[in-house]
Amino acid sequence: MKIFIDPPNSMILFDLVERFGHEPLSTMAVIQEKVDNIEVDMPPMNVTLDDVVKGLKYAGVEVPSGVRGRMALWGPMIEAADAAIIIDEPPFSFGCVGCDRSNELAKYLLKRRKIPCLTVKYPSNEEEAKTMVGQIKDFLGGLGE
Amino acid sequence: MSEARITRILMISPDSSVTSDQLVRKVHTIDDGLSVKETCYGCLIESDEKTMSKVMAVVRETYHNEVFSKVRGFPMGDPRRCRAQHGTRPGYSQLEAEWECLPLIQSALDDIDAGNTEYTVPEEKKPLSVRQMKEISEAFR
Amino acid sequence: MTIRIAELSCGTEYSGVQFEIESAARSVGAKIVYPDVSYDQVKEALDRFGFTPKSPQLQLMIARAISLADGKYDADAVFITTCFRCAEAALVRNELRRFIQENTRLPVVTYSFTERLKASQLLTRMEALVTIVSRKELLARERQTGLTAGLDSGSSTTKCVIMENNKIIGKAWTTSGDVVQSATQVLNEAMEMAGVELKQIEAFGTTGYGRFTLGDHFKAKLVQEELTVNSKGAVWLANRQKGEATIIDIGGMDNKAITVRDGVPDNFTMGGICAGASGRFLEMTAKRLKVPIDQLGDYAVKGNWVNAKMNSYCSVFGIQDLVTTLGAGKTFEDVAAAACHSVAEQVYEQQLQEVDVRRPIIQVGGTSLNKGLVKAIGEVLGDEPIVPADSQYIGAVGGALLSSGFL
Repeated sequence: MKIFIDPPNSMILFDLVERFGHEPLSTMAVIQEKVDNIEVDMPPMNVTLDDVVKGLKYAGVEVPSGVRGRMALWGPMIEAADAAIIIDEPPFSFGCVGCDRSNELAKYLLKRRKIPCLTVKYPSNEEEAKTMVGQIKDFLGGLGE
Repeated sequence: MSEARITRILMISPDSSVTSDQLVRKVHTIDDGLSVKETCYGCLIESDEKTMSKVMAVVRETYHNEVFSKVRGFPMGDPRRCRAQHGTRPGYSQLEAEWECLPLIQSALDDIDAGNTEYTVPEEKKPLSVRQMKEISEAFR
Repeated sequence: MTIRIAELSCGTEYSGVQFEIESAARSVGAKIVYPDVSYDQVKEALDRFGFTPKSPQLQLMIARAISLADGKYDADAVFITTCFRCAEAALVRNELRRFIQENTRLPVVTYSFTERLKASQLLTRMEALVTIVSRKELLARERQTGLTAGLDSGSSTTKCVIMENNKIIGKAWTTSGDVVQSATQVLNEAMEMAGVELKQIEAFGTTGYGRFTLGDHFKAKLVQEELTVNSKGAVWLANRQKGEATIIDIGGMDNKAITVRDGVPDNFTMGGICAGASGRFLEMTAKRLKVPIDQLGDYAVKGNWVNAKMNSYCSVFGIQDLVTTLGAGKTFEDVAAAACHSVAEQVYEQQLQEVDVRRPIIQVGGTSLNKGLVKAIGEVLGDEPIVPADSQYIGAVGGALLSSGFL
């Protein structure tokens, strides 16, 4: 199954989803499509004005361009996801997930789709880590093929 | 995702005794059609999808819960994201932060592998009711 | 030498504008760099700075600013930029600009972008950053020497000043038409006034929109953007070469607010997307009221803007408001005052929020001849600006002054 991970660039979530036999949907894959497109030369990421305009599907013109640009890339992933795992308030979220407004909107759009969605707490000790990993394993195991 | 190339980050948990050098030498032996670049946290690898599946299977089998991995959007050494060109890329701090957390994840996975699959989900803490807060405040009068 | 401009930004990559920013920097011989910071430094920086925005990229900006302030990362100038309409980012952008100014001597410029940002919009700003860094010695020049001419090719008017031994000996202006033709006309008039011939002029300095064309045509020794040139002209004219000042230049097409330290800008903003906030609005008002533009200010100082309140800043709807007010029996004076007040208020709301206004305030440019606008700026800022003699010639004076540095 296709699992949307949030933060969508998280290595821990990507690794765990894959480890437990599912396909993680990540920003890295979407960015790869962009950067490998030799017809566009807009480094570093080849995100263009057209992309930001596409983001209007998810947020109005009064919303900052950075939010719309992100949604243009994440939106289709959210729509393609069969399930989602969200880390609640991770202490890290830089780079692709640097905008809190975009992160909030992504979470909302996932919930609006009413797909199976697991929210876990970021661990601060071994006990909590076991809970997080255990919850993820059980959640993914319960999704089927 | 593009079929042409897959680039992945392999990151060694700080609690592991595996070194970047050992990891690089190991992945080199798995397949010829693979580019490898050693980094401070492990290595970057790049190949076609078929080779990558083979490599990842061996890496998972060999290093189990000590090496973690995710795909990377940019090709290896891409000047658009190369640190030497501009300074650190925006996601660098993210990787650093996740690296610090890997020992906890490693130990949780080890635990599960050992058959200890029980865990407890802590109850959500609720704020004190206004009545309780009032009582406490009045006690300090 | 490549000038290193440290970028503190949020949203540029996903707005598709990072490429434009880098292109603008490259075209003026600069390179965009990101100060290196570790995850631990981010945590530390937030504690120290005392402001924890929710967006991590803004947190990263703070850590990068602290790295610059601590001298851990080497850069020559700072460009702070975030998405337009993001309130959280606007707060961080402004506070970081202040922090950089208080803790470093690096010139800094702030900008809020939309996805439609093009490199050309940033050129003047980037060029000014590079000039401030690479022409430090030239910008320190306080006296004009020899016989030099400055040409300022603006969007509304073209100005020429001829200077000899630190004195203005000839000056002329005209409305801008063909760039070279207008400049040639004002140059001839200024030469006639000065009693000099072209071959006697030892150096030319050009600035303004047409600076490159004029630079080629007159083989100018100095071809420089108007932010640094106008600043030098303003402090020379106002005799405020030492210490701090704020220069307000409300132009025909764009407005500039520049803070200077010893005549050299350390922070500036430029605005130019709304005609309602520019000299053009006053021109349109004068035309609609059928009064000569040079008399609009005289009317305005006698009026009271409160009597002719406008409901819109827009150059179309705002002027409609004024005409309606006039129809309702209000005086020309009140309406002219309202027009001036409207421009002053917008400059305050748009440009002056991005700089820390330092006293004295020097108001320059063609619009500074409008007494009503000067009064309105004074009212809005609570402090009457200084308007030096020949205040409309700042660019030309700056050009003549700085070009003498090449003799």
